Amino acid sequence: MIPKLTDDAISRLPLESGRAELLEEIMSTVAPERQTEPLANPASRRTRWVAPLAAAAVVAGLAGGTLWWQEHGPSQHHHLSAAASLGLADGQQVELDAPGWHVDSMGDGLRFRNGDAELEITTYPAKYYDSYVKDREYIEETPVKGQPIQVLGRPALMWAYSATDHTAIREIENGRWMELRASGVDEAGYLALLGDLRVVSSAEFEASLPDDFVTVAERPAAAQQIVDDIASVSGAGFPDGTALQLGAGEDLDRYQFGVQVVGQYACAWLEALDNAKTHQQTDQAAEAARVLGTSRQWPILKEMNSDGDYPEVVWDYADQVAAGTVPEGYREGLGC
Amino acid sequence: MSDVAFSLDDRERAFRELYAAHFDAILGFALRRVDRPEDAGDVTADTFLVAWRRLAHAPQGPDLRPWLYGVARRVLANHRRGERRRTALGDRLRRELSTHVPDLSDDVVQRADVTDAMRRLSARDQEVLELHLWEGLESREIAEVLGLATAVVRPRLSRARSRLRELLGNDPSPPGHHHSDRPEPLTAELIRKER
Repeated sequence: MIPKLTDDAISRLPLESGRAELLEEIMSTVAPERQTEPLANPASRRTRWVAPLAAAAVVAGLAGGTLWWQEHGPSQHHHLSAAASLGLADGQQVELDAPGWHVDSMGDGLRFRNGDAELEITTYPAKYYDSYVKDREYIEETPVKGQPIQVLGRPALMWAYSATDHTAIREIENGRWMELRASGVDEAGYLALLGDLRVVSSAEFEASLPDDFVTVAERPAAAQQIVDDIASVSGAGFPDGTALQLGAGEDLDRYQFGVQVVGQYACAWLEALDNAKTHQQTDQAAEAARVLGTSRQWPILKEMNSDGDYPEVVWDYADQVAAGTVPEGYREGLGC
Repeated sequence: MSDVAFSLDDRERAFRELYAAHFDAILGFALRRVDRPEDAGDVTADTFLVAWRRLAHAPQGPDLRPWLYGVARRVLANHRRGERRRTALGDRLRRELSTHVPDLSDDVVQRADVTDAMRRLSARDQEVLELHLWEGLESREIAEVLGLATAVVRPRLSRARSRLRELLGNDPSPPGHHHSDRPEPLTAELIRKER
C-alpha cells in the first residue's frame, strides 16, 4: 500500500522531467475540438435530492484509438424504483426474515438492523461489477479471491473484512448487482442472514416495515400531516400559487420522506422570498422571511435532526434569510 | 472556458495554466487510490489528456478542481476494471514515480489505522470520506465530483464520518442514538497535515 501522501509531499517529489514531458506529449496530440455538442446542464442533475442509485453519469474511455466521452444524460439520473435498483422485477423487494432484524433505512440502499449488528444492501449498475470484485479482492494486502456462496438463489462472492464483518457481491441480475455487507455477526451468522433473505412482493415487504416507515399508500396522508404540523408553528401552508407535488414514490424511512416534503416547503418559501425581493414586493418578502424564521420549530426537522444534517441545511438558510439575504445556491442545497 | 472559441494559442496557454495549477492534486488523488505508483502516472496522464481534449467543457474558477477529480475518478474506475492503458503518454512520469514514491513515508493525509477503518465502510461511504479527508473537499464539491446533489452528499458524509468515528472507537455515539451533527474534530484528528 502506498502511503496516503499529501499534495504538498507530492509537489516535492522529483518528477520535473516526467511532469514536463507529459504536458508536451498531451499537447502534441490532436488539439481539442471546439465544443460542438451541448453540455449537460449541471443544474438538471441537482433537481433530485434522492440519491440516484445509478452512479456517475459520464464515463471517459478510449475506443478504437479515439478518445470518446459519453454523456449519458438525464436517463442515467432518473430515480430507479426499489425493485429496479435491486435488479428485481417490478413489485418485488428483498426482506430479511430473521428474528430481531428489521429494516433500518432505505432510499439510499437498504439497511437491516438488529441492535448493533447491521446488514446493508447496496446496488450498482452492471458496468461496475468487475471493478468492485477486483477492489474487494484487495481487502488484505495479499489479494484473495472471493469465496463462492449463494445469495437469493444466485452465485455471489464473499470476503471478510474481519471476523465479524463480511461482504458479498452477488452476480449481475437485470443489469444490476447487489453488495451485501454485514457487521456485528460472525461468518456463520452472516451466511445464515444471507440465507434468511427473501424476495417478496411489495405488499409483503411493506407489511414487514416498522411503523416509522412511510409506505406508498401512506404517502399522501403522511405528507399532509407533516405540512399541517409545520403550518401549526409557521402559521402558513405553501405560498400562494404553489403546492406540494408528491409523486407516486416508494416506501421510505421518515428521514428520507421528510426531506421530500419539508424540502419542497422550504424551497417554495425561499423561492417566494427570492421572487419578492426581485420584484421589490416588501410585504411578500417579509412574510416569506417570517415563515422561514420559524424553521427551528418545524416538527419534522426536529424529528429528522437525530438522523442527519438536512435540518441544519434548512436552518442555515433560514439564518441567512434572517440576516437579510437570499441564500446563494439554495436550490442546489435543498434540491429544489 | 465553455462556449468560447479559443485560438490554439489560447488553448495551449489555458491548458498549461490548468496543468500547472492542478497536476499535484490530480497525481495526489491518483496516488492515494492505486496500489502501484506507476499506475498513478497512467491515471494522471489519462486525466489530463481528457482535460486537454475537453478543455471547452471545463468549468472555470473553483469548480475546475472538482471537475478534474470527477474525470480522474472515471479514469481510475476504468483502470480498476483492468482496461489497458489508454495512452502511451507519461512513460517518464511512470518511471519517476516507481523510483521515488516508495521512499516517502511522511506527509501522509491520515494514519494507517484510519485507512484500515475506512476500508471497512461501504464503498459509497469510503468514497465520500476519501474525497473529504484526502482531497479536503466539502459536500458541495464532493457533489460536483460524484454528480450528485449536495443535499444527498451532506447527510451521506455526515453518516460516513459518524460510522468511521465508531469504528475508530473515539467519540462513540450513545446506543440507539445516531446524532451526526454534533461538533466533531474529526478532520483535525484525521488529517495530520492541513493541505
